[in-house]
Amino acid sequence: MKIELQGLNHRYDVEVLRELTFALEGYKSIAIIGVSGSGKSTLLRILSGLERPTSGSVRVNDHDVSNPAYRKSVGFVFQSHNLFPHLTLLENITLVLEKTRGHTKKEARDQACRFLTMLHLGDQVHKLPRNVSGGQAQRGAIARALSVGPEVIFLDEPTSALDPVLTYEVLNSIKELRGLGMQFVLVSHVMTFVRDFADYVVFMNAGEIGEHGPPSILDDPQTEGLKDFMAKVP
Amino acid sequence: MAPLSPPEATSRPGRSTVAYGLAISTFVLFAWFIVARQSRPFNLASIVPYRDNIADGFGRTLWVSIVSLIGSTSLGFLFYLLSASKVRYFRAFTDVFTEIIYGTPLLVMIMIMAFVIGPAFGSTNRAVMGFVGLIVYITPYMTNIFKSAIASIGAEQYMAMDLFGFTPYQRYRYIIIPQVVRILMPPLMNNFSLIIKGSALLNLLAYRELFYEITLMTNNNFRFVEGFLLMWLLYLMITIPLSQVTKWIDRRWGL
Repeated sequence: MKIELQGLNHRYDVEVLRELTFALEGYKSIAIIGVSGSGKSTLLRILSGLERPTSGSVRVNDHDVSNPAYRKSVGFVFQSHNLFPHLTLLENITLVLEKTRGHTKKEARDQACRFLTMLHLGDQVHKLPRNVSGGQAQRGAIARALSVGPEVIFLDEPTSALDPVLTYEVLNSIKELRGLGMQFVLVSHVMTFVRDFADYVVFMNAGEIGEHGPPSILDDPQTEGLKDFMAKVP
Repeated sequence: MAPLSPPEATSRPGRSTVAYGLAISTFVLFAWFIVARQSRPFNLASIVPYRDNIADGFGRTLWVSIVSLIGSTSLGFLFYLLSASKVRYFRAFTDVFTEIIYGTPLLVMIMIMAFVIGPAFGSTNRAVMGFVGLIVYITPYMTNIFKSAIASIGAEQYMAMDLFGFTPYQRYRYIIIPQVVRILMPPLMNNFSLIIKGSALLNLLAYRELFYEITLMTNNNFRFVEGFLLMWLLYLMITIPLSQVTKWIDRRWGL
């Protein structure tokens, strides 16, 4: 995966990201970590094209993220599953594939079943999101993100709304997806998972990139910010 | 301290049916007691000569309620659009309108419409103006349910729609409207019940709905007990199935 940030700034009411200039190439799963309010989720949304930065340029795999066509090449998993609540897990996927990707009914159904089964939801496909557990719904959301065949999947703290058992379930499913050959960018607070899954870590600190490198930087932090962060997270 | 009973014990379907059966029997028994306490013997045959008039009144109550439902839903949606408008005056207008209606008793609204506002616009048909009063009165309640139904679709769902690239038509057709309709149904049915009950007040303007027809009968044959009990029963025959259907819809389709 290739990520290039050039003078990236973003602000809501306050400054969230400050003059980020950064380039990265060759990694397959990148984890963004940091305390709440450090700008990591905002950075993820900008990388996925969900949000437009206030200024600066952002390129992912040589695509300009401000190009609307780019969005169709990414998958995004939200903190809370964000499935459409009136549709079953299966329909959540088939609707997307039929209406926005031009699949026939049968293709969409086969594709949806394939991904739902891959995420161990084969027996839940006809249930509404409110009738499955939070972990199952989140895995349904991951299946939905995968089903459109994205180049890159962005995951925004996919387990922050789940208890430890469901967290384990969801993270295990994500690990199983590594074999699919997709690229991942994720925000997570679960350090054991980050160490295990990511091949590159970006530590955000107060709107800037505090430190970055392979997961081994977590064991040997060089900056005060990361040292402080690692001392506080389990 | 006595041990608390586990929650399953109170929610087993079999026991709950028995409990409801007993509760309904209590009220039936109470009705029977009331009838038995009257000085005159209960005589349903006394109503028979009036049955066509009563049926007509029942029909008019339903008709006026359905038209008011459609009228207030349409007007309520229009007011919702105004309240969501970028024009500040429109938003303020709906706020002030809502405050005025919320502060007004339905009876007063109907009288004002029939005797004050109607004549100002050249309408002396009091029944029709009462009708309009009922529609106007329910409108802000309808506006509110549109507001809360539409607000219940969160910002993240719109982000997901953006991300997958749904067109505006597809968003409304497949995602927004199906959800709004489901959220809307139960409160809409509750408002319908409010309208049916409120329509009884139209008798004061000599609109010949259920209340009017039965009162007319009791004024002729002095069968107050039979007449008013029948009236009560007829209203419940509309409103109770309605509330049951509402609950069923909510269970089956609720989000």
